Amino acid sequence: MKRWDALSAIADAFPRDPLVVTLGGSTRELAAMRRSANHLYVLDSMGLPPAIGLGLALGLDDSKFEKVVVIEGDGSLLMGLSTLATVGLVKPQKLALLILDNGAYSATGNQPTAAAAVDFCAMARACGFQTQEARDLDGLKQSLDWIRATPGPLLVRAYTEVEAAKVPYLLEDPVKVGGVFADYVAKNK
Amino acid sequence: MSNPAERCAAVNAAIEQIDPEWIIQIPSSTLKTIIDTQAERLGARAFPATREEEAVGIASGMVLAGRRVLLIIQDNGIGNSLTALTTFPQAYHLPMLILVSRRGGLGEYNSMIHTFCEHVEAISDAAQIRSFSLDGTVPLDEWSRRIVDAYEFAQITHRPVLVYLNLMRE
Repeated sequence: MKRWDALSAIADAFPRDPLVVTLGGSTRELAAMRRSANHLYVLDSMGLPPAIGLGLALGLDDSKFEKVVVIEGDGSLLMGLSTLATVGLVKPQKLALLILDNGAYSATGNQPTAAAAVDFCAMARACGFQTQEARDLDGLKQSLDWIRATPGPLLVRAYTEVEAAKVPYLLEDPVKVGGVFADYVAKNK
Repeated sequence: MSNPAERCAAVNAAIEQIDPEWIIQIPSSTLKTIIDTQAERLGARAFPATREEEAVGIASGMVLAGRRVLLIIQDNGIGNSLTALTTFPQAYHLPMLILVSRRGGLGEYNSMIHTFCEHVEAISDAAQIRSFSLDGTVPLDEWSRRIVDAYEFAQITHRPVLVYLNLMRE
C-alpha cells in the first residue's frame, strides 16, 4: 500500500473530524494532495502527535466531533511511545491512532526503524487500546469503518511502502497552520 | 520570609483563581501538597503524564480544543521538554502556563540535580521561553497575584510561560 493512497483513504473517511498529521512525508503528501481546515499539520515535534491528539480528544470529548484521528509514523510513535500508557490511564473515547508503518525514517533517507522488532498492537492492547492491522488498502478501508463505529481508544497499524511521493516541503508559518485548525475546531465543535 | 507551606497555599489559591479545566502534572516531592490538593479538586481532570514533552503535547491539544489547562512539573523536566516547547506551542503560538518547581542550590539533597537545575532559568531564556520567578524573597501576598498574572500573560502573548517556584527553603 502506498502512503499516498492510505492518506487519501483516511482523509476521505474523516472529512469533518479533527485529523492530526505527523511530520515529514505524511504531512507533505496530505497537504499536497488536499488541504483541509480539519487537518492539523505537525511540521516538526517528532514523537508528539499522539499526545497532541490525546489532548484534543479529551478537550473535545463533549463536542459534536465523533473522533480525533492521529496519523502517526512508526519512527515518531517509537519516539513518543510512553504516551500509550497515558492514553490507557485516561481512556479517551474519541481517540484513534493510525500508524502508517513503512519501517523507515523516510524523511532522513530511509534508515530502518525498530518497528520490525515491535508488536505495536500488542503494546497498545496492554495499554487499554483496541487494535487492528491493515496490510492493504481494502484492509485499511475496513479498519476506517471500524474506527467510525467503535469507541476509543483505538490503534490501527497499517503497513505502507517505503517509497514516497515527490511533493514539496510544507513551509508555511505554523501560526497560520495552527490558527486555521483552531478556528475550524472552535466553529464546528 | 514565608515558609514552603505558606507558598504552596498561595500557589493553590492562584490555581483556584485561574480555574483550569485540566491539570497535567509530573510530580516532585516539593509539589506534593499542590498536586494532592488539585487532584482532590479536579478528580480525573488532574492526571500525570509520563514525560514532560508528552505533557506539553497533551496541553497543546487541549488549548487547540479551546480548553483552559495548566501544567505542573519540576525544573529538571525543562530539559526533557525544550524541543517540544519550542517546536509546538511556541512555534504555533499556543498559550499555556507551566508551574515549575525549582530544585538544586542550597537545601538540595540530590547531588545529580545541581548541574541542570541551577542554570535552568538561563536555559529557558536561551530558548526564548518567557519565565517569571517566585522565591522566599517575594512577599507572600504577591505569589498568587503574580501566578494569575503569568496565566494572563500567556494568553495575551499567545505563548507558553513558565513560573519558577522555589518551594524548598524556609
